[in-house]
Amino acid sequence: MFLLYEYDIFWAFLIISSVIPILAFLISGILAPISKGPEKLLSYESGIEPMGDAWLQFRIRYYMFALVFVVFDVETVFLYPWAMSFDVSGVFIFTKALIFVLIIIVGLVYAWRNEHWNGLSS
Amino acid sequence: MFNLFLAVSPEIFIINATSILLIHGVVFSTSKKYDYPPLVSNVGWLGLLSVTIAHFFWNNLFRRDNFTYFCQILLLLSTAGTISMCFDSSEQERFDAFEFIVLIPLPTRSMLFMISAHDSIAMYLAIEPQSLCFYVIAASKRKSEFSTEAGSKYLILGAFPSGILLFGCSMIYGSTGATHFDQLAKILTGYEITGARSSGIFMGILFIAVGFLFKITAVPFRAAISLLTLYMWAPDIYEGSPTPVTAFLSIAPKISISANISRVSIYGSYGATLQQIFFFCSIASMILGALAAMAQTKVKRPLAHSSIGHVGYIRTGFSCGTIEGIQALLIGLFIYALMTIDAFAIVSALRQTRVKYIADLGALAKTNPISAITFSITMFSYAGIPPLAGFCSKFYLFFAALGCGAYFLAPVGVVTSVIGCWAAGRLPRVSQFGGPKAVLRAPFYYIRLAKRMFFDTPRTWILYEPMDRDKSLLLAMTSSFITSSFLYPSPLFSVTHQMALSSYL
Repeated sequence: MFLLYEYDIFWAFLIISSVIPILAFLISGILAPISKGPEKLLSYESGIEPMGDAWLQFRIRYYMFALVFVVFDVETVFLYPWAMSFDVSGVFIFTKALIFVLIIIVGLVYAWRNEHWNGLSS
Repeated sequence: MFNLFLAVSPEIFIINATSILLIHGVVFSTSKKYDYPPLVSNVGWLGLLSVTIAHFFWNNLFRRDNFTYFCQILLLLSTAGTISMCFDSSEQERFDAFEFIVLIPLPTRSMLFMISAHDSIAMYLAIEPQSLCFYVIAASKRKSEFSTEAGSKYLILGAFPSGILLFGCSMIYGSTGATHFDQLAKILTGYEITGARSSGIFMGILFIAVGFLFKITAVPFRAAISLLTLYMWAPDIYEGSPTPVTAFLSIAPKISISANISRVSIYGSYGATLQQIFFFCSIASMILGALAAMAQTKVKRPLAHSSIGHVGYIRTGFSCGTIEGIQALLIGLFIYALMTIDAFAIVSALRQTRVKYIADLGALAKTNPISAITFSITMFSYAGIPPLAGFCSKFYLFFAALGCGAYFLAPVGVVTSVIGCWAAGRLPRVSQFGGPKAVLRAPFYYIRLAKRMFFDTPRTWILYEPMDRDKSLLLAMTSSFITSSFLYPSPLFSVTHQMALSSYL
């Protein structure tokens, strides 16, 4: 069907991986017991009575933690292949990886010194 | 091996300069000893210096040629101009973040890569950081909802075409197995004529063209309402961002993306498919830019519309695939960059005193006649009035378009150029504001601004603060070029002819 024949396997994979969630929803829709009542409309708070206000102010520190985590995680992922082939690659590769790490360190210095990101250094 | 480092040394210099600038800014602005100085001007001047020095690192190696040289020099000079616009508005709007300045050399580095990119992967890898930095600085004024709106609209308007572009590149790779433009040029030459058409290649080229056109805020596919909405977002982006950001984003990406498109469409895949799309988009941009700019009341939005329209004119330059076309494109880009720097410098100088609407310009001629004259020179140059540089660029563009056989486009271009000058004679605003001397027979649009400045008696007199030294220097240089280039245009013409020739080889 496609220009390259390997794409047929991909098509099969796509169909099967689309069918499985649909199957899951159908089966649970048929087999699960459904009961209606006023208590089903309450918001869930680990089984106890819900108390307090549902709307809190968004705290930006959570987002900053996640952002910095993603950056350094991706850096780690890029460093894994370099580490695995470290013994067979020469000085040139080492210099390039060093430059990469240095650029990331610039970001680290910025995140460390900036007062908005102070939650990270404490 | 070390030739590689020498070849990309302008970019390496800018990358190093940006990192050092960032560390310098953050270490010194958070140190208790110096009592936490906000380092905006400091970092700003250093950024300006680094961008101007970067072109000394030019090295004539690797995949560069004269075309790249011209575009990169133009880009660096325009960036230097826009940074020098930032200083005063940072003070005025109490803008304490020096990171804003650091985020200007960073996309410049990406744009330098983009201009010299000869490979689809390199092109995409360079487009992405450039767009990303622009999304951030468009939303950098945190207390203003306009700025946030501009940033989020720009994010969506920019991420979507990046995806389309990449999809087109991957389809071309899947069908031909080649990403480098040299290889693509060999494979795709005459593929329409020989009958070996593959729908994958055709769709790939189409997607790449659409992606590029979105990025350059063209007016494609006006029949589809959703895409029309996306087009309508572009003026909102221009208006909501802080003024130096608008200046930067209306000059710099246009230069680099135009260079990139001309490389892809003329060097990489030469054929009639793209040409028709580009011609159609040029016509649509010209018409819409002229019409939409008529009905505006604020100062920044008509500038946005006229810059979109002018980019439409410039797009006819690479739409015709001839050498005159590329030469016209380069001339148009150069003059467009100068005019836009001029216009935005004046607007950002006037914004200090809360000028937002066109009606506020009414007192300009009497309180500050020199800036009124400069503004009207810039507007006349946009309109394409003869003794100014805008006329030269438009003339050469239409000349090149006629030379390649686009007999429909050139008259449409001329007509929209005139329409852009003409507003409906009976707008109620005119009758409100005009005295007996001021009601002209058919007030031209750009001339309407001049009329508003010179002839109308304003309802409120606004006291304008004098312009600062950097901006006035910038304005002097650009407006003197605009007025004097008609007398002596040959250096520009011969330089761009050389650049155009080298881009073909």
